[in-house]
Amino acid sequence: MSLAIEMKTFRVPRWLKRHETLLAIILLIALFGLGLMNDRFLTLDNLLNQGRVMTEFGLIALPMTFVIITGGIDLSVGAIVGLCAIMLGYSWKTFGFPLPLAIVFSLFVGALAGFINGLVITRIKVPPLIMTIATLALYRGLAEGISQAHSVRGYPEWFYFLGQGDVFGVPTQLLLLLVLIVIFGIVLDRTTFGRALYAIGANETAARFSALSVDRVKLVVYTLSGLASGLAAWVLVSRVTTTRMDMGSGYELDVIAAVVLGGTSIFGGSGTIWGTVIGLVMIQLLKNGLALTGVKGDATIVVIGVALILSVLIASSLQRRRD
Amino acid sequence: MSTEPESGAPPGEPALLLEVRGIEKSFPGVRALSGVSFDVRPGEVHALLGENGAGKSTLIKIMSGVYQPDVGSILVNGTQVDFFSPDDARRAGVATIYQELLLFPELSVAENIFLGHAPLAGAGRIDWGAMRTEARRLLDSLEIDDLSPDQIVGVLTVGNRQRVEILRALSHDARILIMDEPTAALTESDVTRLFDVVRRLKQRGVGIVYISHRLDEIFAIADRVTVLRDGAYVGSRDVAETNVGELVQMMVGRRLESLFPKTAAPIGAPVLEARDLVRRPLTKGVSLTVRAGEIVGIAGLVGSGRSELAQTLFGMTPSESGDIRLNGQSVRINSPETARANGVAYVPEDRATQGLVRGMSVLHNFSLAALGSLSRTGFIDRAAERRMALEGVARFSVKTSSVDEIAGRLSGGNQQKIVLGKWLANNPKLLILDEPTRGIDVGAKAEIHRLMSQLAGEGVAILMISSELPEVLGMSDRVLVMREGRLVAEFDRENATSEVVGSAMMGGTSSEERAA
Amino acid sequence: MTATAIASSASGRTGMFRRLAGQELLLAVAIVALAVVVGFINPRFLAMRNLSDILLGNSYIAIAAVGMSMVIISGNIDISVGALIGVLATISGSLAVAGAPIIVTWLAPLVIGVAVMAAQGAIIAYLRIPAIVVTLGMLSILKGGLISVTGGKWITDLPQNFHLADLSLFGVPMPVIIMVLATVLAALWMRNSPIGRAIYATGGNPEAARLCGVNPQRTVLMVFALHGFFTGLASLVYATQLRVIQSTTPQGLELTVITAAVVGGVSILGGVGTVVGATLAAILIAEITSALVFINVSPYWTDALRGGLILATVIADILRRQRRAAQGWKR
Repeated sequence: MSLAIEMKTFRVPRWLKRHETLLAIILLIALFGLGLMNDRFLTLDNLLNQGRVMTEFGLIALPMTFVIITGGIDLSVGAIVGLCAIMLGYSWKTFGFPLPLAIVFSLFVGALAGFINGLVITRIKVPPLIMTIATLALYRGLAEGISQAHSVRGYPEWFYFLGQGDVFGVPTQLLLLLVLIVIFGIVLDRTTFGRALYAIGANETAARFSALSVDRVKLVVYTLSGLASGLAAWVLVSRVTTTRMDMGSGYELDVIAAVVLGGTSIFGGSGTIWGTVIGLVMIQLLKNGLALTGVKGDATIVVIGVALILSVLIASSLQRRRD
Repeated sequence: MSTEPESGAPPGEPALLLEVRGIEKSFPGVRALSGVSFDVRPGEVHALLGENGAGKSTLIKIMSGVYQPDVGSILVNGTQVDFFSPDDARRAGVATIYQELLLFPELSVAENIFLGHAPLAGAGRIDWGAMRTEARRLLDSLEIDDLSPDQIVGVLTVGNRQRVEILRALSHDARILIMDEPTAALTESDVTRLFDVVRRLKQRGVGIVYISHRLDEIFAIADRVTVLRDGAYVGSRDVAETNVGELVQMMVGRRLESLFPKTAAPIGAPVLEARDLVRRPLTKGVSLTVRAGEIVGIAGLVGSGRSELAQTLFGMTPSESGDIRLNGQSVRINSPETARANGVAYVPEDRATQGLVRGMSVLHNFSLAALGSLSRTGFIDRAAERRMALEGVARFSVKTSSVDEIAGRLSGGNQQKIVLGKWLANNPKLLILDEPTRGIDVGAKAEIHRLMSQLAGEGVAILMISSELPEVLGMSDRVLVMREGRLVAEFDRENATSEVVGSAMMGGTSSEERAA
Repeated sequence: MTATAIASSASGRTGMFRRLAGQELLLAVAIVALAVVVGFINPRFLAMRNLSDILLGNSYIAIAAVGMSMVIISGNIDISVGALIGVLATISGSLAVAGAPIIVTWLAPLVIGVAVMAAQGAIIAYLRIPAIVVTLGMLSILKGGLISVTGGKWITDLPQNFHLADLSLFGVPMPVIIMVLATVLAALWMRNSPIGRAIYATGGNPEAARLCGVNPQRTVLMVFALHGFFTGLASLVYATQLRVIQSTTPQGLELTVITAAVVGGVSILGGVGTVVGATLAAILIAEITSALVFINVSPYWTDALRGGLILATVIADILRRQRRAAQGWKR
């Protein structure tokens, strides 16, 4: 894709390009290695299924890339997933909304949650880290309170198409993700909005002095983050056929790890959607590969935690050596 | 009047507390100091005078160990020393009181004074009693009886906080005290009290380096004064043997007219008419007019409110009252976007943090303020963007290997051209320039001035803020002077001289007025 | 805080008692007021048994909040504390079941807690990785590590003498004693030791701190090591109250601890706050949680309340700082 080539004009051009190619190479090696260790790994079936599972993180990782490029962070995404999942089930079962309306409503809740994040961050100037830790607590709490720990089941057949169906052999949600990847990638690389993201992350003051609508851009990215979390909730519920209040728990780790692994600097100002995609795939394959070789599911988050710290460590020491 | 600084103490006089010789210091893109010498005698107040960018702050940072000189030596009591860190300087007895007071509002007076070196009792515990007693002793030594060691610094006035800072310096047994614009934020009575403190310090043999723009203060409290200009030493005088006029002339000098190729431009209708603009805290009712083709220069000291005014006109800090008319139309400028939409452009004072995104390429910096015009449906027209940058590079003679070069790697002058260029891409009707040639080399300066003339010729209204009087005098059709948030004087080009403008800036009387 | 300052300067006292007004007073009043109100609605709330349960069951949170306050005052944050408490509890319990001397099972969480937190502190201070990244990563390492090592098994059959928390001194249960001691000692230490001052300075104005001879990196390392000690202590109190130690980490614990610190008056921007406030806030939050049950509100709303509390406190704090800055305080 030309996205990677255009990146060379940004702050750490050649390094970044090397980072992404390096990453892609590691990915290929990992694929190969895991395939050797376990013959179930490289089957189309398995890969597509992994794609299915990966989508929920992927949907959130796209706007998260935007957020981190602007120098911010959103830790509340997992909680928003939970809240939207609950609102989906709750508004359908308890308010009696027709299911399509319930879906739209839950997406709206996600967008609203993100919007509130963005509003307080831009108007009251609470730092994103702190705001989203606080809303992490609040939104998760709301999910628990509203659901009273009741699960919702029994959705109609058509509802599961998104989470469990296929279109021309490709899982539905994966197709959705692919479309969004392209859209987000194009927006980041080719539009004024995308350019503004880089400017804000690299030097927010100069961005303001260049008459960019910094606050509006930030408001949009946090709202998108919330909306994407809502979308991920819909996909998730559709895939596991039930609604539970602890859904989305811990998602922020995987998403942020994917974004950072993909070359986006935690300090803002650089990053690509392409890189995030690679990061996403790597983490998913890592999880899958480990699972297939008998490592228990929960242990994989250890690896992701290590991956997160290591990738920021490597990125920042490379950056320092360059300066 | 020699132009060579005295080096070493004259025979028969006490040793110099602190001396720096032949100091040179450069930063990427700018030569801050070239061959400056300075010294401080015990018990004297030695004032350091110069415009912004003259090198005063670099010099004091070298004397206090924050920077190391590229060339030159530092001597304390006649012995050569090296300051590799502020700690080294502090241990040698040099203490600095910065404008930005470095106090901790949550802690008490005594705690602030002794932070980092509190007297300890057994087991490493802080000995509160000893600390309070010591603090009391220091307060008494300067006869300060209206401060208590236990007061929380956060509630003190600025004047009192400053005294706490001085006491902190004394607690380190400072023999040399450097004060950077100490009276900038003080009231009259605070200034009087500060002078009392300074006099007592003099009696104790402490040497004081006093940086200030306020000539009347310098004449009130200083014994000697040294003038710097553009990083070079201009001269030193005994305060008793000089006057305001001489100092002003040393500061601003008689610079070459030829540097400013200002061509006359036809002056048209008013582009900007501002009435009674108020914006707390530093814009207190400013009215001005700038016409098409006119270059209006605004002179004033640091803190006089010029940049604040500019940013109000640009919508960064919208006015609280007053109105603005652009090309006859009344407009409400409440954001930079509105300003831009109305044809206003602002080239900020600090290009590193405000003007340029140093991590981005030249190409992307050029288009940053004009993205709207380069995209119809939100998609940036890359070919047009590249054309814009290439044209800009050519038009402004930006020296860069390619438009894809990272902007931060270019020299100061070239960076400034990019900031200027990015705004000109919008074809503004009003161009506000804030210190357009600060920190850039002579060649680039001339280019920017030529550009300004050209733009004026094309009908652009230019408002130029500058601390370099020669630039203001050379380029402006009219000179406005700001002091403490108000416009205090206006001069036509013919009547503007460095004396009258300098005096208006500093609020002192000019030598001509004095002589009369 | 201004009223406090003027009041204390008038009385001319320094020391720990100076700041006992302000936020701490507010919290103490809130604790009492809430008890009165809820007791009115449901008198069983005021039963000695219930009140002591509240204190006992949540003292470990107050202890952890002491360490967390220090971290936040220094300008950092830690979201791994909940996971670490779980891990340390399991280690302690496993040692006890394996027959190690009781004193070892009690000291182990302290030592390991210091080690783990100090490691994070070192990475944050010397490798310049943002605290959020390091502690987020560590959170998952600890969480996942715990599950995979224990295989999901719970620890039962804890020896009788393991339960430190069951002991009491002069009729006061051990957890409460430890909580009070920890808070008082930490408060004294923060006020009186040079490192305590350094922590405030580093969080308040790192540049000024450096120019005063404070070493920000070493300070951050120390603060995390201390935090590790209190985390270990909290884990000790937590584990020795349980009959069964689960292999999961207490859900949302880090949020509760952070909330306690923030509500206790620690400014999330660093440089301000006291550990006494954190302890009082932890008690208040525990009280609120219990109160909800007694006035028949579903306990599932506790977390929402906690979330709302931290959000409101943070916003109020930031707004207060902005107002103060606008009044001309130069920083």
